[in-house]
Amino acid sequence: MSAYTLKVRRYQPEAEEDDKRGAYWETFDVELDPTLSVLDGLLQAKNDKDGTLAVRCSCRAAICGSCGVKINGQSTLACKTQLGEAAEEAARMARNGGGEAEIVVEPMGNMPVIKDLVTDMESTHWTKFRRVTPWLLPSGPPPEREYIVPAESMVDVTQSVACIQCGACVSSCLSMEADPDFIGPAALAKAYRFVGDPRDGQTTERLYDLANDPHGMYDCTHCFSCIDACPKGVAPMNQIMRLRRLAGDDHGIRDVNNGHNHEMAFVKNIKKKGTLDESLLLQESYAPGVKGKLMPRVSAIKGLLGSIPTAIRGIKTGKMRSVPKLIPGVHHKLPGDAQGHVEEIYERAEESKIQLNLYIIGEGGEEDHAAEEVEPESVSEEPTTA
Amino acid sequence: MKLAYWPGCVSRGFTPELHGSMALSAEALGIELVTLDRANCCGAGVIAEHNQELADTLNARTFALAQETGLSMMNICSTCQGAQSECQERLDADSAYRSHINDTLSGEGLAYTKDKDGFTNKNFLWLLVEDYGLDKLAEKVKRPLEGLRVGPFYGCYVLRPKTRLGYDEFPDRDLYLEQVIEVLGGQVVDYDGARRCCGFPVITMNKETSLRQAGTHVGDAIDAGADCLVTPCPLCHLNLDMQQPEAAKVVGRDLGLAVLHLPQLVGLALGFDPKQLGMPKHIASTIAVEDRVSALA
Amino acid sequence: MPEHDVLVIGAGLAGQRAALAAAEKGVSVGIISKVHPVRSHSNAAQGGINAALDVDDSWESHAFDTIKGSDYLGDQDAIEVMCREAPEELLHLEHIGVTFHRNEKGELGTRAFGGASKARTYYVADITGQAIMHVLYEQLMKYSEQIDRYEEWFTTDLAIDEEGRCVGAVTRNIKDGTTEVFKAKSVILASGGNGQIWQPTTNALICTGDGIAMAYRAGATLMDMEMIQYHPTTLAGKGFLITEGARGEGAHLLNAKGERFMEKYAPNKMELASRDVVSRAEQTEINEGRGFPDGTVALDVTVVPRKRIHEALREIVLVGRDFAGVDITREPIHIKPGNHYTMGGVKTDIWGRTNVPGLYAAGEVACVSVHGGNRLGANSLLDTLIFGRRSGEDGAQHAKGHGFGQVSRTVLSDAEARVDAIIARKHEGGRRVSEIKAELGKTMDEKVAVFRDEEGIQSALEIVQRLKEEATSAYIDDRGTVFNQDVLGAIELQNMLENAEACCMAALERKESRGAQYRTDYPERNDEEWLKHIDVSMNGEGPEISYSPVTITDWQPQERTY
Repeated sequence: MSAYTLKVRRYQPEAEEDDKRGAYWETFDVELDPTLSVLDGLLQAKNDKDGTLAVRCSCRAAICGSCGVKINGQSTLACKTQLGEAAEEAARMARNGGGEAEIVVEPMGNMPVIKDLVTDMESTHWTKFRRVTPWLLPSGPPPEREYIVPAESMVDVTQSVACIQCGACVSSCLSMEADPDFIGPAALAKAYRFVGDPRDGQTTERLYDLANDPHGMYDCTHCFSCIDACPKGVAPMNQIMRLRRLAGDDHGIRDVNNGHNHEMAFVKNIKKKGTLDESLLLQESYAPGVKGKLMPRVSAIKGLLGSIPTAIRGIKTGKMRSVPKLIPGVHHKLPGDAQGHVEEIYERAEESKIQLNLYIIGEGGEEDHAAEEVEPESVSEEPTTA
Repeated sequence: MKLAYWPGCVSRGFTPELHGSMALSAEALGIELVTLDRANCCGAGVIAEHNQELADTLNARTFALAQETGLSMMNICSTCQGAQSECQERLDADSAYRSHINDTLSGEGLAYTKDKDGFTNKNFLWLLVEDYGLDKLAEKVKRPLEGLRVGPFYGCYVLRPKTRLGYDEFPDRDLYLEQVIEVLGGQVVDYDGARRCCGFPVITMNKETSLRQAGTHVGDAIDAGADCLVTPCPLCHLNLDMQQPEAAKVVGRDLGLAVLHLPQLVGLALGFDPKQLGMPKHIASTIAVEDRVSALA
Repeated sequence: MPEHDVLVIGAGLAGQRAALAAAEKGVSVGIISKVHPVRSHSNAAQGGINAALDVDDSWESHAFDTIKGSDYLGDQDAIEVMCREAPEELLHLEHIGVTFHRNEKGELGTRAFGGASKARTYYVADITGQAIMHVLYEQLMKYSEQIDRYEEWFTTDLAIDEEGRCVGAVTRNIKDGTTEVFKAKSVILASGGNGQIWQPTTNALICTGDGIAMAYRAGATLMDMEMIQYHPTTLAGKGFLITEGARGEGAHLLNAKGERFMEKYAPNKMELASRDVVSRAEQTEINEGRGFPDGTVALDVTVVPRKRIHEALREIVLVGRDFAGVDITREPIHIKPGNHYTMGGVKTDIWGRTNVPGLYAAGEVACVSVHGGNRLGANSLLDTLIFGRRSGEDGAQHAKGHGFGQVSRTVLSDAEARVDAIIARKHEGGRRVSEIKAELGKTMDEKVAVFRDEEGIQSALEIVQRLKEEATSAYIDDRGTVFNQDVLGAIELQNMLENAEACCMAALERKESRGAQYRTDYPERNDEEWLKHIDVSMNGEGPEISYSPVTITDWQPQERTY
């Protein structure tokens, strides 16, 4: 048993007391085993001290996805975060920031708060979820028995199937903070679940739709927040990147958001130069190749024009060292034969395009394979559980 | 201390002041940098988005070049750190995959070897705290940045995902900027944006979203009383500094906050002149910082 | 007043399947759930779903395993229906999107499970329940024009007309505290089991037996209420589930001496004997001093190849890591039997019909009875889906042949008055709701668990009856309308106590050992006197016991060994 202080962000919509109008902080002292969860702490406070404290919860075992909250600023599940760990993290932050070592619990972000830790997921998370046509759309009638599909494909989509729709990723999404219309990590991971399913017959249509939505797959800023927030290892951002790869590269979708152009401009830039030539990147990403320059899209012209003031400011300060620096092709080259070797890499890798999936082979990778040969340890006499 | 040095692309492109200030600071700190001038772009996650194997092979090449020197590798870009760590994770996970990649590299006589303790590639920030040491850094400070109010800005790629970026071993990596600012004599400014995203990766795809992020963080730092921001990531610098006037339009307020590269902040404390550190090359005016620093001197 | 031809209460697998089946018949459907549907407890079913789909397997073999597993208390007509229809249901699930894992040929793959003579358990890693339930929810989205969803609405009571027919339900919108009477021609209860009566339990906090209690108050008969499954592998203290799939994949059970003790209890099936057998074996080892000091034995998953653990048992790796701090791929984990499943419930026929006209029940809330004295692993998902679908279909049919009934005017005002009365309770003199719930859980786990005897059950019953009295004055803090979880807790407590009372009475009544009911004072199965169901129904204010026969078709009771 240890004592913990939970500092909870509260909101009681019907409160009449002056100090409870709007959101406020309240601390609760609880006493529990360190291996018990922050949810256990909240429930102790609710059961013993204040029944008005609202928090959604059900399974207590990180399966149902009810208790999404922020703990010490990190979006997660309250049931999956141990009190001991949370207190250590609070202490670590306090040591460096000088505050008190209280476990801070707040409602999830990017969603309106209904009461205390209960947020309105319907108007945010679930609306976005429905946006991606979240059901299987097979082509034609089903077979007599099961669909025959590669075993690996079902293991592969298990990563997105493992999503419990808790909303922790949505809560943590930094793109959504800036663009509330962003479809977001949970819904896009859900989209991958169908795109990656060989039984679905609308793969191209799904990809086309999500690539061309200005708030779709190209609205993710690659901040990795969702990966850290996800309690189930779904890694939503990775699924978004796979959607992009499938859309632009495998399905040849040229999106209006300039996503694929930008990607290819970057890829070609390195093939040609070895290191990034930003001026060339800008130009090629908006107006790729000869065709793009002869017949630029309206969005390309707007994009290029939009970047002119920034370029002029850069030239003025000497940031962009000279006007020729802005002319594509004038960029330092790798020494000697190095560029040739970079090109060799391109030739080989663009041919084989291996995608090593750590979800399938295991994060430890070959360490796991090696360990199989090791004799299993004998049973320990010591209890392993508390 | 001698290191294989990967300066990245942007430090030799749109942020030449980063490359220059790193060279000055390293010398003053007594760090010898062996530049990997044959190395290539890390791919910034964009090449991996297109073709994982391509990104992994390109970075395996960089790692192999570093391994040829027999030295640990250092980078000065959060994005390089994140993109390279991601590739390294895959390279280290599977020996068959590694042989396939090394086969590609064999034409150049290179091979990436998975070291027993892991191949080490650290951002300057990590290196400064974990290997160089804050005590030693403190000894080198000639001009404590007293009164300079600095907002840290990490860049996502050195923060997340924690499991990939060595936080199990070094849990305080998300607090190093604060520690460095304090050792340099500056005052840490607490504001909302320190660990958020600058928005750069979508600047060509969704300019509004991108600049709203940059503008919001800069604005928050100003509201918290910062004299400047400091970042270990030149791509964040592009959005926070170079695009700052555009970001100001998106968030509809005046901004104008200096954004320093980490080696510039270190360089100031080591006694270098703002001009030597390339600060006039910045878009957002650094005059306020320069004034404060000159008052110290 | 919302009106639906078919109203489904509860949105786990049984409820969602019922709603979809009813909608397919062209009637209007409403589905109500006190939590968002994907939070329902069907999520927790990890291991898989049984079906004799393989050409070398047969539904008869599946049926026999189920009957033997039930210790011959299962009704064989119902079991036949379930096992016959299983393959078709499984393929239906596959066709609408469930990502069942495949074998090397790309066909549906299987794993071994307890009490089964063949590997006939189909699975999605070890998140099978979750994977199926999310697919059903996808289908609810797809058919959202035919199916209205009421997410986070708490049903407090059924509406019964003067002729005793079920004509709707009274429901509180949790978000704003308003109460509505829903009118319906058919009402399908699919609100799950009552595991929260025990502490610890693998069951979620929402499993408070609401549907069982509501039906009971409305005049429905309860059956097999004494049959409570203790799962052999749960985490000590916290009660979290470790799937039987672990043993299906080859994991061993070891006592503190490192012995594979199941050799003594089930030499043929070893760890894959039926759950009641394995739980008793573990408890015997623990009681006789061969367990660990923390009152557990060990589950050794390290004997399963790591790659296989990684692809097929990912969830329990997380459970071990996050909730016990144990890497199950490297060391054994301590486990013990823990409360898991309600075999009994609202008595129904093979179409989900209860004795109350217009009222159906399916899934864990119901007792068809396909599980009898002991449910086989991976039969619960099957039960929810088969009888969910059948209830939906028959409920739709029933709705087509009937009009809306007359809902008495007092139904709404009574429900509101009940909530008002709870809110008005004074703190002075009463106990906190949570305190009573804790005492109930502890009592049941001590006295009505793996091993039972008359003295223990009798004392549990007395405690439950005292708690029932105390619950009428138990107080709460929240007097608001928005998301008032406190008031729901008080209503749930009353439901739980009604369940507990029926359970204790039935357990006391059955003077033999069969399936999950092991009476140390009557250690033998006694077919002559007790090959019959115990029914409990409400007579006036109190429970009344009666009996009903077990349906036997082709399989005569035999001695049960594994």
